[in-house]
Amino acid sequence: MKITDLHKKIGRFELNVESLSVEPGKIHGIVGSNGCGKTVFLKLVMGILNPDRGYIDYEGILPQEITMMTQRPYLMRTSVYKNLIYPLKIRGIRPDEEKMDELLDRAGLLEQKKQYARSLSSGEKQKLSFLRAMVFEPKVIIMDETLSNLDAESEELFKELISMRQKKDPATWLIVNHQWDHVNRLFEAVHYMEKGRFVKNEIAEG
Amino acid sequence: MIDWMINVFSDKAVLSAIRVTFMLAFGSTLLSSVFGIAAGLLLERFSFPGKRIVIRINRTLMGVPPVVVGLLVYLLLMRRGPLGSLELLFTIPGMLIAQTLIITPIISGMVYSYACRFVPAIRVFAITMGAGKWQTVKLIFAELRKELYFCMVTGFGRSISEVGAVMLVGGNIKGSTRTMTTTISLLKSQGIFTEGVGLGILLLVMAFILQCLCDFFQREEVQDENY
Repeated sequence: MKITDLHKKIGRFELNVESLSVEPGKIHGIVGSNGCGKTVFLKLVMGILNPDRGYIDYEGILPQEITMMTQRPYLMRTSVYKNLIYPLKIRGIRPDEEKMDELLDRAGLLEQKKQYARSLSSGEKQKLSFLRAMVFEPKVIIMDETLSNLDAESEELFKELISMRQKKDPATWLIVNHQWDHVNRLFEAVHYMEKGRFVKNEIAEG
Repeated sequence: MIDWMINVFSDKAVLSAIRVTFMLAFGSTLLSSVFGIAAGLLLERFSFPGKRIVIRINRTLMGVPPVVVGLLVYLLLMRRGPLGSLELLFTIPGMLIAQTLIITPIISGMVYSYACRFVPAIRVFAITMGAGKWQTVKLIFAELRKELYFCMVTGFGRSISEVGAVMLVGGNIKGSTRTMTTTISLLKSQGIFTEGVGLGILLLVMAFILQCLCDFFQREEVQDENY
């Protein structure tokens, strides 16, 4: 993914990305203080916001192959299971219930399968949102503080699922996480932001 | 009481008033829901010059006195009026037009308010899931179903209690355009209070039963979702 001269002004805030290359199939961490423009950048990549100018070359990746998770996920007014299979349903894919149950079980949500999704705890909601984003195997996965406020066990689960996906069919991950020292071992590249600009890019060795 | 009930339900004029009342209430709620929900959602979705004025006009119309709408429709439908050739004055379709005009702004205003609150998040979620245009529309309807239902119930309540406009446009013709509310109004002007109050209670009971039925179906859905 190549980003060129991307510009977005929201109120007094201005995002300017002169040039950024996001290597496909890698886990990218985006690091910066509050209000530096991480979320605006991610929303531009996701297509939720339109840039004032500039260009994102997705290099053949379709908008339907990109997904985004936020710290406060949106859960539909239906059961946990129906939330989980929603991305498959809109793609006309018949879900393999056994496989879905396995996923839910792994996340400790199998017992809540038929429960109203909005009655889950905030951590469980994040887990469900994560699983839902994984089931349709998108090529680009954006996580905006999705890993924040999770217990150690859940964080481990997320890391395990990310690693599994990368072994099977590597996706491009853009991860913003304030507690990034816990997950930074996963990052293969780190992009630092300051006042709406990328100031430094680091590629992990090995 | 039972004798009174038997008398009421054997009176053809009263039965006709009940039939007309519910026909109008259902018909106008249905029409207003189609127009009002579409208008409310479109108003949230699109920006255009004068949008604020449109919203203000909508809010003003939410509180417009029905008798004013009734007068306007009367002037439009009267023999010498612009739509006089349609011969809709003192007919049920004419009353339906008046009630639809009264209820549509109420439904559209409420839907707009709910849409502003909930739809942006639904739309963003749909984008993140890779939903197409129509899948997003379907999702919005599914997610807002309870709010839309509430808007429709409010519209129905307004419709079933309407007197002024239906009296003007319908002409309160016995056995034809007389509704339960206009019957009550007539009974009061004739000093027959007992029957008026009785009809009023009957109207309330019928609306309550209907409401219970609607709530029952809603509750079923929630229970199904939970476990």
